[in-house]
Amino acid sequence: MPEQLQPAPRTDEVAGFGAVVVRVAAQVLETMFFEEAVASACEHAWLPTAVTVHVSFEGSHRGEFLLSVSPDTARTVAAGFLGLEPEELTGTQASEVILELANILCGALMSTLWPESALSLETPELAIAEHAFLGGMHCCFTLPDGMVAVSIGVSSGDGSSGDGSA
Amino acid sequence: MKSLVVGISDCKVSNDLDSTLVTYALGSCIAVVLYDPATKVGGLLHYMLPESALDTQKAQQNPFMFADTGIRALLQAVTASGAHPKRMVVRLAGGAAVLDTEGVFQIGKRNYLAARKILWKAGVLISAEAVGGDVSRTIRLDLATGRMWIREAGAIEKELMQHHSPRKAVEGV
Amino acid sequence: MPISVMIVDDSAVMRGFIRRVLTLAGFEVSECLEASNGEEALAGLEGHSVDVILTDINMPKMNGEELLRRLERDARLRSVPTLVISTDATKARILKMLSLGAQGYITKPFSPEALREELERVLGEKNA
Repeated sequence: MPEQLQPAPRTDEVAGFGAVVVRVAAQVLETMFFEEAVASACEHAWLPTAVTVHVSFEGSHRGEFLLSVSPDTARTVAAGFLGLEPEELTGTQASEVILELANILCGALMSTLWPESALSLETPELAIAEHAFLGGMHCCFTLPDGMVAVSIGVSSGDGSSGDGSA
Repeated sequence: MKSLVVGISDCKVSNDLDSTLVTYALGSCIAVVLYDPATKVGGLLHYMLPESALDTQKAQQNPFMFADTGIRALLQAVTASGAHPKRMVVRLAGGAAVLDTEGVFQIGKRNYLAARKILWKAGVLISAEAVGGDVSRTIRLDLATGRMWIREAGAIEKELMQHHSPRKAVEGV
Repeated sequence: MPISVMIVDDSAVMRGFIRRVLTLAGFEVSECLEASNGEEALAGLEGHSVDVILTDINMPKMNGEELLRRLERDARLRSVPTLVISTDATKARILKMLSLGAQGYITKPFSPEALREELERVLGEKNA
């Protein structure tokens, strides 16, 4: 369960968050999932049926990352990654791929937002959409088959050391 | 040396050692070029749009207009002519951000992503590519050697070198 | 020449993606061992020799850094080339993993073709 997070205090560090997310997401999705990400206005009516993944991170920054993908988009993205047609997906394949997408996107965003930082990501977990909208830094964008929402909430960034592994 | 010209929304397959496969004015379109060095079978597809679902009727009349129906047809045709998927050298060209008749800048990128997605599904990796930018390209494939040349608008012709050669392990295939 | 491979990543679908690239790239994979963390990898490598190890960094139980340290300390396994595959694109992490003995480092996301190139480089240097 995501803890209660304050909105990220240092917004000057992440000015243009939406533009950064779309740029990084586009690179991730195009390279490994063969999909095109396009900036769009926020819209959240689809969140209750979304595939939502939560990733905690800690180290020099500590917080939560949330990725929500509309159901059709989840299937298209998963099929692209696996080299299948969407109709060929079985069981939990779509959510397994979205879990890995969240892992890759979170890691790529962390490396872009805070390139000098030492961060470690927890194992991604499926989450429920009610808790999807964290406030803090947030944006939506579109893929050909639907919508994606990304939120990052930072609970501390006081330079405290990470788990010592870096 | 004969030129076998491939037009827009067109595809040709040949193993004529005296011929080159050529296509002109690749703007936002993508050319998919296949070549089997063992059987010297080559194929060139020049498609305009990423997805046949956009217009299923047109796709039935001309499958080469779209990435999905076109690449499927190209793979079937080269395979039927004796090319083996594990030996095939695959190269892409085009996908430039030019203003096309629909006024859509992004169709070049969509066409390129469609090719990558479909080839990954088909189990084929790409050996070299000359894509993106904002220039039109003309390409030719020499069927005797499998070498491919690209001429970008306003520049001299250059060879598109493979970044990768088919693995020795499949020579016996 | 047939190769034997160990893939270490806590995501089964990522291991599948890597396996698919190996096959499509034309590598003759005689054996493909898989593990979801460093601990499982070391257990799987007992009594097995492999030509290359591909490993993620962030994994539960034993992460990629610790796995590399253990491999370096093992007289039999220290000469096996290791390719790190990770979401972490920071300079500090890359340098750290290379200093621990990794022969290559590729950041996620990567295209199938980029993985093929890096594998060929790492395996080529081994055979040089």
